[in-house]
Amino acid sequence: MIRITPTRRLALAALVAALALPALAGRPAAAITPEEIKARGKIIVGIQGDNPPWGFVTSDGKQDGFDADIARLYAKQLGVEVEFMPLEVNNRIPALTSGRVDVLFATMAMLPERAKAVQFSKPYVANAIVLIAPKSVEVKTNADMAKLSIGVAKGAAQDTQVTKNAPAGTVIRRYDGDAPSIQALASGQVQALGGNIFYLQRVEQARPGEFENKLEFQKLYNGACTRLGEKELNASINAFIDRIKADGELQKLYDKWMKVPVHQFPDSLDGVPFSAS
Amino acid sequence: MNYVLDFTPVLDGLPDLLVGCLGTLLLALGGMAIAIVIGIGGVVLRDSRYKAVRWAVKGFVELIRNTPFLVQIYFIYFALPLAGMRLDPTPTAILALGINGGAYAIEIIRGGVQSISRGQVEAGLALGLHKGLVFRLIVLKPALRAVFPSLASQFILLTLTTSVASAISAFELTSVAQRIESESFRSFEVFGTITLLYLGISWLMMSFFSTISARFFSYPVK
Amino acid sequence: MGVGEFLFLLTGLKWTLALSAIGFLCGSAGGLAIALMRTSGVRALERLTGGYIALFQGTPLLMQLFVVYYGLALGGLHLSAWVAVSIGFTLHASAYLGEIWRGSIEAVPRGQTEAASALNLGYAARMKDVVLPQAIRISLPATIGFLVQLIKGTSLASIVGFTELARAGNIVSNQIFQPLLVFGVVGILYFLMCWPLSLYGSHLERRFAVATR
Repeated sequence: MIRITPTRRLALAALVAALALPALAGRPAAAITPEEIKARGKIIVGIQGDNPPWGFVTSDGKQDGFDADIARLYAKQLGVEVEFMPLEVNNRIPALTSGRVDVLFATMAMLPERAKAVQFSKPYVANAIVLIAPKSVEVKTNADMAKLSIGVAKGAAQDTQVTKNAPAGTVIRRYDGDAPSIQALASGQVQALGGNIFYLQRVEQARPGEFENKLEFQKLYNGACTRLGEKELNASINAFIDRIKADGELQKLYDKWMKVPVHQFPDSLDGVPFSAS
Repeated sequence: MNYVLDFTPVLDGLPDLLVGCLGTLLLALGGMAIAIVIGIGGVVLRDSRYKAVRWAVKGFVELIRNTPFLVQIYFIYFALPLAGMRLDPTPTAILALGINGGAYAIEIIRGGVQSISRGQVEAGLALGLHKGLVFRLIVLKPALRAVFPSLASQFILLTLTTSVASAISAFELTSVAQRIESESFRSFEVFGTITLLYLGISWLMMSFFSTISARFFSYPVK
Repeated sequence: MGVGEFLFLLTGLKWTLALSAIGFLCGSAGGLAIALMRTSGVRALERLTGGYIALFQGTPLLMQLFVVYYGLALGGLHLSAWVAVSIGFTLHASAYLGEIWRGSIEAVPRGQTEAASALNLGYAARMKDVVLPQAIRISLPATIGFLVQLIKGTSLASIVGFTELARAGNIVSNQIFQPLLVFGVVGILYFLMCWPLSLYGSHLERRFAVATR
């Protein structure tokens, strides 16, 4: 049972204990090379677990999706096993920077603010951030968002976009992940939803015929992420992406998941270098 | 590669974090108020003349005490709209906290009520006191005094549980912290700092309870 | 909900059980050490463990998991999510069990310790053969109560991205969009794990109350 009277001594002791914790930190996190991954025989891939068709866990517990297939191809090139670690939207970057995973194939939109924290590869797929709202509501401009309550996945690209584009005072609700945010729309807890090009498909399953894509905020490219400064791994992934673009493997995955021709990718993006310097 | 701790985003976000603390306090106090009402009401109903009511209270207590708060709050938030009940995240969180704390409060207060000997109640009634007055003065108040420490520690637990409300996007400290984290990617710094803020909040609550205890539940009875 | 979805929930349930078991077993070892230090009579140890308990009882489990999850990795330890989360629950359980057992060690009448000392029993024998057997009996209802709390607490591992029962529920709910059904089933599964323990705990409590009357 917790004591009712806080004693100053206990308070101090707890504070000391709390301050001692960060002392654990500050030491080097992982730096890993493709050679080390090969030697280990396994690559640990951070991926999304609940964002079909990008990355999701099927009901028999298997990791699947576009990103999963890309990661498997890369592992095949290295000749190693893949270990998937499904991550919440919001802990993708922390999982990488803190060394829990070797690489992210996790619907990582290539954004300048993220590029300060992680190293992006060349883009391997295109995406767009959209606003989904009921057909019956007129949403033509960003200003129209003010009358809606909008759900987003915390820390996802749609969070950034909706937050940036919606007028001040718009009700924006942030959930732990894609699944709860879509659930919030489906159960009517929010009227609109920030998401990517595949969200509508899923919303259709839950509430058929009621919603449509209203606004497109941003065209995005997704890349793989490694830790800043890990040159070899970044170079290896870029070479891999060039190869699958050239030999038609990427088109096969596009056919399987997106059902469109492979997008044209830009050679550079403002504020997002593709190669480690 | 070296990871260097950087607390700048946390310091920049400090005003927001403090507002978040207020959100946490609001959830905690709101939840406690509902919990007390449910607790006292439940104790009365648990001795109801009707078997169905007694069993309903028992069932409620067992159900809530043996399922995780996270599941309860998801259930209330995502499932109840289907039944036509739609509440905003913050009221939902307060309600869920109140229901959760209420189930524990029923058990705790009941323990206190049972410790009051039958003779005291009979003595009160013999003095011609009204039944309600007997319950309030002879049963409830001494019972609350007896169980106040347990109740207080349960409410500290409730205060800490408010962090889970971030899962349904209620406004409180954890949700503010997660926003700062997702902008700065400084998870360890952010969560380390708010852990200390929570420690502060629970001490504040403990002092609050010891003040209440000294003011209302100390002998001689006022 | 089809058979596939239900089996997926059961896979999550398996992890919930594993996590609870690890947290409880390792937490018991840690808790015992903390309880012994807290009652050792050595002031520095008592303060240190007192601080540890106050820290873990004064902060949310969710924060403890976050800090351990990210902190261990920054400290250069590369552990799987599973191990990191287990360490988080172990630290958490050690604090709560340590405090529960401290209380029950102190509840063993002082005369017992004095008698044991008079019989020239050393600290180890005194604790192992005299104090702890009684203390454990006294602590059983509270210990079981905490075990229930721990099982429910493992649901928070879902927020750091660990696929146990609660997160499995979330994923399934998002595949079939029947939250009422899915969270209902998830709730029932938790209930089936916790309720028998709760009943056993209150049974012991009643028996103990009768025995000491």
